[in-house]
Amino acid sequence: MGSSFYNFKRIGIVPPASDFIDITLSKIQRKTPTVVHPGYHINRIRQFYMRKVKFAQDCFDERLTQILTDFPKLDEIHPFYADLLNVLYDRDHYKLALGQINQAKHLIDNVAKDYVRLLKFGDSLYRCKQLKRAALGRMCTIMKRQKDSLSYLEQVRQHMARLPSIDPNTRTLLVCGYPNVGKSSFMNKLTRAQVDVQPYAFTTKSLFVGHMDYKYLRWQVIDTPGILDHPLEERNTIEMQSITALAHLRACILFFIDLSEQCGYSVKQQVALFHSIKPLFANKPTMVIVNKIDVRRRSDLQGEEKELVDSMLSKDGVEHYELSCYTEEGVMDARNKACDVLLQSRVEMKVKQNKVGDDVLNRLHMAVPQARDDKERPAFIPDEIIEKRKKKEENAMEEDEETSVRKLEKDIELENGGPGVYNIDLKKLYLYKNPEWKHDVIPEIMDGHNVADFFDEDIEERLVMLEREEERLEAEGFYDEEAFMADSDDEALEQAVKEMFDRKKVNQINARLGATRKGLPRGAGPRAPNSEDFKAMLKERGASVDASRGRSIGAKKRGRDDSEMEVDEPAQESNAVTRSKSRLQSLVRSRSKGASAAREPSAMGLKNKKQKLDAEKLRNKAQTQRNLHGRQGDADRHVSVKLPKHLFAGKRGIGKTDRR
Amino acid sequence: MAVRAQFENSNDIGVFASLTNAYCLVAIGGSENFYSAFEGEVGDAIPVVHASIGGTRIVGRLTVGNRNGLLVPNTTTDQELQHLRNSLPDKVAIQRIEERLSALGNVVACNDYVALVHPDIDRETEEIIADVLQVEVFRQTIAGNVLVGSYCALSNRGGLVHPRTSIADQDELSSLLQIPLVAGTVNRGSPNIGGGLVVNDFAAFAGVDTTSTELSVIESIFKLQQAGPSYVVNDLRNQLIDSMT
Repeated sequence: MGSSFYNFKRIGIVPPASDFIDITLSKIQRKTPTVVHPGYHINRIRQFYMRKVKFAQDCFDERLTQILTDFPKLDEIHPFYADLLNVLYDRDHYKLALGQINQAKHLIDNVAKDYVRLLKFGDSLYRCKQLKRAALGRMCTIMKRQKDSLSYLEQVRQHMARLPSIDPNTRTLLVCGYPNVGKSSFMNKLTRAQVDVQPYAFTTKSLFVGHMDYKYLRWQVIDTPGILDHPLEERNTIEMQSITALAHLRACILFFIDLSEQCGYSVKQQVALFHSIKPLFANKPTMVIVNKIDVRRRSDLQGEEKELVDSMLSKDGVEHYELSCYTEEGVMDARNKACDVLLQSRVEMKVKQNKVGDDVLNRLHMAVPQARDDKERPAFIPDEIIEKRKKKEENAMEEDEETSVRKLEKDIELENGGPGVYNIDLKKLYLYKNPEWKHDVIPEIMDGHNVADFFDEDIEERLVMLEREEERLEAEGFYDEEAFMADSDDEALEQAVKEMFDRKKVNQINARLGATRKGLPRGAGPRAPNSEDFKAMLKERGASVDASRGRSIGAKKRGRDDSEMEVDEPAQESNAVTRSKSRLQSLVRSRSKGASAAREPSAMGLKNKKQKLDAEKLRNKAQTQRNLHGRQGDADRHVSVKLPKHLFAGKRGIGKTDRR
Repeated sequence: MAVRAQFENSNDIGVFASLTNAYCLVAIGGSENFYSAFEGEVGDAIPVVHASIGGTRIVGRLTVGNRNGLLVPNTTTDQELQHLRNSLPDKVAIQRIEERLSALGNVVACNDYVALVHPDIDRETEEIIADVLQVEVFRQTIAGNVLVGSYCALSNRGGLVHPRTSIADQDELSSLLQIPLVAGTVNRGSPNIGGGLVVNDFAAFAGVDTTSTELSVIESIFKLQQAGPSYVVNDLRNQLIDSMT
């Protein structure tokens, strides 16, 4: 929850009742139709006025809802703010005002609903108009009655926007005490809040907030108005703000006392105040700050006063610090101590509430290496840096000596026209043997070669060396050994792969030979494999051959006149083994149809003609939709009749002209 | 000292610069402000070089190097390579490598002695890293992220790793690297340590969004101030808890 959550500056302006009405009525005038004629159909007239009434309702509704959502609900915000708003604006008054606004909203809704209903029965333009007037009039009256609530809310809004944005959950130092004891002076010493400091009581009339940095964290310091020692009921609004802050903020309390009594209150009174508001400090780190020690210190106290002060400090956990905002003695010490104590207590609280999970704990851990060998791994810091650091330390001691500052590229750039104008010299820092070479132009391509390929001076020698090494390795049988070293698994795999590739190659050649068969006379090319070959292959692979014959045996029983039988056994004449007469006849026919008939792709995998036809039908059916949409071209252009006679000849009523 | 810097309104300065104990590469930007941030801090000791890799400015993510060498991806042009060679001292070896994972800054994190690399990096690349940078190479992940270079920053004195690295992982990495480690963030809570922080043994640069708490962690773990790395766990403990929860 950041401080922006409690930013009351975003509440919209609440206009006074009269403005409210003016705004809404002019808006209705601007945003709804204004012309209506008695000659219009009665429904149209009713619509016209209903729209006005509904629009008025919407306008009021929108504005009122805006107010209701903008103002914070006291039950939902942090108790500190809830109490502060109660102290400043009176909770009951505040709630009542918002409640009345809410009620007004509902009343307006009801008025609109009623009059829209009545408008449905309006039988002339005059009556409809009167109904509308009555509706808007009643809405305006309702708003007029909210005059007081609206002006109150506007005042509250203006005041709230000026409240300091205090984050109730962050690290906070809370300064409190009697008036005029130096609270605001202390605040001004710590932060840049510049709170007004004057030598009279109640200079600070409300809460002030300032920020400071300590220990890499942001701290919030709250200056409170002074409080007097009297019962809670008698406290005024200014004091109550302090009490609210003391009661609700989980902060480090700095209770200021002034032993010099320059503030106009005796030590006794101040100690009594401490004791009476002590319950508010429960469970909070508390420190008693003795201010104005340039005038009187605690060691100067004697007798009764000493006992009184000691009675404050005797309680558990209450520490004391002496400081003087005038001489600034002890101010920072007190601040640091207060911050440390508060930080410690916040951390303890968080640990207790189990808010410190693993994701936080692992970041609080420093991994220290365990030695895994004896190797030294020292840091490498150039001598220049060590020298520079030494110089810096020396300079820190004798501050007046100016260090010679290096001229940076940034400065050179500024001198030469600034960014966008100045061009850096990339070659300035080149580390050549001879600095004069820096800006020499080197060609990228020379004699058709990339210069970069030859940047090594001794590239030739290196190549020779590499080649020699290679030769030596070869001679030593380094590479043979590698092959030999391969284990048997690898070898087997390699063998298998080789075989596979060989077979693939053979198949490729065969296929190529087969492809040429088309142009050759039948019988010239390699013979197509027949069932016998297939069987032989199966046998070779160790499969039982009989089972594979099942289908052709079955087919024989069905007779041989079905022409699709050719599909089963392609035409072969070269290896006629044993065939029945009918088979021979069909063979003649099949030859005339051509050897390719059996290989028609659409029939592949289908049982018979019927199945094939069914498949075709299904395919066509699936394509009809696509054909409908996708095939529309220029030829499909269609111009429907542009001026249909029945719509353009003769009179038309006010009915539709759109015939679709 | 740790310094806050910004490259053309971007806090991810680790993308545009890479820093080692022997040299510093800085992208060529619109103005010299970024360059001068480095020049002013380390320019007296080591060369600060304007560089581009394959025409891009993301030199910090594409290159990886240490005191002994510099590795650049295969997208580096011959001219860029020549520029680097001319600008860097002779004892720094420069090598262009053919690696599929060409954002070397993201896949390799190293100091002068040890390198952590992406688990999927080429075996050949691994050897080149070991040879050119003269480091021991370990395939590792950081908090389950394979991009080790993006999620940590290392020097010879300490290292900062991804904030979600478990304590066991931190201990293991620390023993591999032989440097103290802490888990932390840069740039107001960003876990992209490599993007937000460039560091060597005597200087550190972080994005301008880095909070003072983060900066104090950085300064102490990399020993850039008097207080040692144990400062993080002892003195900074309370601030860290209070700012993180």
